[in-house]
Amino acid sequence: MKTPYEILEVAEQATDSEIKQAYLQKVKLNPPARNHERFQQIHSAYETIKNITSREKYALFNYPEADFDALLDQAFSTAQPLLISADHFDKLLRASIDDKTFLIGNPKKTTV
Amino acid sequence: MNEIIIGIDLGTTNSEVAIVENGQVLVIADNNKKILPSFVGIDDQGDILVGESARNQYLVYPERTVKSIKRLMGQDIQVNLAGHAYAPQEISAIILKRLKAIAEQYVDQAVTKAVITVPAYFSDAQRQATREAGEIAGLEVVRMINEPTAAALAYGGNQLEQKRMLVYDLGGGTFDVSVVNIEAGVVEVLSSHGDNHLGGDDFDQQIIEHLLDHLQETQGVDLRQHSKALARITRAAENAKFVLSEQPYAKIEEEYLLEHQGAVIHLSLELSRIDYEAMIEDYISATIDAVHIAMKGAKLTPADIDEILLVGGSTRTPCIRERLYNEFGFEPHSEVDPDLCVAMGAAIQAAMISGQEVNAVLVDVTPYTYGTSAIGYLNDDYYPFTYVPIIHKNTALPNRKTEAFVTHHDGQEVVNVTIYQGEDPDALNNIKIGEFLVEGLQDVEAGNVITLTLKLDLDGMLHVFAQEKATGLEKSITIKNAISRFEHGALETARHRINKLFGQNETIGAVVKNESPEIVEARKLIAKAEALFDKTSSEDKEDMMDLIEDINSCIEAGLNDRLQETAAKLADIIYYLES
Repeated sequence: MKTPYEILEVAEQATDSEIKQAYLQKVKLNPPARNHERFQQIHSAYETIKNITSREKYALFNYPEADFDALLDQAFSTAQPLLISADHFDKLLRASIDDKTFLIGNPKKTTV
Repeated sequence: MNEIIIGIDLGTTNSEVAIVENGQVLVIADNNKKILPSFVGIDDQGDILVGESARNQYLVYPERTVKSIKRLMGQDIQVNLAGHAYAPQEISAIILKRLKAIAEQYVDQAVTKAVITVPAYFSDAQRQATREAGEIAGLEVVRMINEPTAAALAYGGNQLEQKRMLVYDLGGGTFDVSVVNIEAGVVEVLSSHGDNHLGGDDFDQQIIEHLLDHLQETQGVDLRQHSKALARITRAAENAKFVLSEQPYAKIEEEYLLEHQGAVIHLSLELSRIDYEAMIEDYISATIDAVHIAMKGAKLTPADIDEILLVGGSTRTPCIRERLYNEFGFEPHSEVDPDLCVAMGAAIQAAMISGQEVNAVLVDVTPYTYGTSAIGYLNDDYYPFTYVPIIHKNTALPNRKTEAFVTHHDGQEVVNVTIYQGEDPDALNNIKIGEFLVEGLQDVEAGNVITLTLKLDLDGMLHVFAQEKATGLEKSITIKNAISRFEHGALETARHRINKLFGQNETIGAVVKNESPEIVEARKLIAKAEALFDKTSSEDKEDMMDLIEDINSCIEAGLNDRLQETAAKLADIIYYLES
């Protein structure tokens, strides 16, 4: 199963606008009118990581291998207010500091 | 060579057909006119009239003429045309057939596929009816795209910088507004809203009512029952509307409307733009409200919008520009022809589908939320019809979403799945668009998982699947308004009915060029056979239809010997029926 980053071929450190550009490039090459499935995959990848809030949600709930340092950097540098709960932010912070304390849904790391 | 797919704007008052040729979008003209009025009539010889001629006839024979049929699409009603009843699909099919012929004449080959535009706010039933109209006209509708989106596509292909655009589309009978982002060759619809029964026709109606009231007051006569006089009033009202787009006053003069109790009734009246604008103010306000809803759906404010694109003839009304200026602080765009850009967008999409390189790709959204009802809580109270939205409005198409539900009580063997369109938390306040039962569930405790999948395709049509997770038992439907829907056989019959109206020459029409004499002969036989359909028993008709199908496939496959054999069989039946 490819991650949204892999589908759009962007780095995890990519900014919102880099991700948007990558998405538009992919759509241009795979118009919905030509290949429905492929477009849906590209579109849902984009929806999953299109901004810092969605990237954080995705990392916390579905993608424990995320680059939490990069996410935290972005979270601190973004101009917009963060739309995640204090609890999530706390987890994000801890995950970034020490991924051993990060216990959500990642058996690989918890068995260490 | 790529097969040709034409782009069609099937409008309430006007229709157009366009193609992409050598990378250029071209609206095809018929007798130097690119616009075909959406009027259909039968003249006193029984011949069919489409377009300008039908519109002219409307004044003399309103009972033999149909206008604005698009307003009735998707409804289970029939309209009267010269003593015969027709479904709205059939009337629309007549217009489509004419557009098809215009295109065929231009490209000098048969055309069987089209992209047709529909208002973004067209419902599922209205979309289905449009597709059926295409089928009756002999056009496979390869895609339906939304009108404002088509306009944005026509405009957006040439844009190099990123732009956010408001498309305000007010046609003869429908209103749509879409917020669109154009960037890197992708035209992305962010939100869409509208009203599928609001348009320039309503403005006309306001003037008509005003004129009728005036005649009632001044001359004591009610013209509502006099169809010919009413047709003239209608035309006069429409003309006044056009004049008022340019001038502050319009003079309305119609002489010898009617003789009433020995007196001749004339109409003479001056209408000012100010009075006219007061008459239509509520309609305009309704469109501005829709603009706000669309802006909110796109999570944007007026300051985020770079341009306004006006689509549809009714946007020539000056007060619309004024109201939009007040909202956004700048003037709408006027480079693009509001009458033609929709057909042009359809042609671009058609070219894309047929595999041509085009410089803009489209991502559209649904203007509706679709969901189901379940037992739950409404305002903290237990409620059996809580709305569960599944596909939210303004999600990109195509889309597929699955939700899991569980059975309510032990041993429950049946679940009733009802599909709604709307936003209200109380499902019963939304529009019910379909319902089915999943029966024969396994006899287990409450909590049996049923998954419900909603799939919304690129044409904006909804397909629904329900599945019992444990057994794989599945039930599915495609939501189509069951009432307005034509069964397959009925579509076939409608096609023959409409073909007959056009006469035999038209059915062979532009196709025959460069064909062998055998094929020409066979096509004549087919036309002859189709003309006999009404007079024959259903058994003979079926035999003929099978043979016709066989002949057509022989022509396609180039099987000349078998073609002659089959054609001979058909000739025999025709001979037998005619003798």
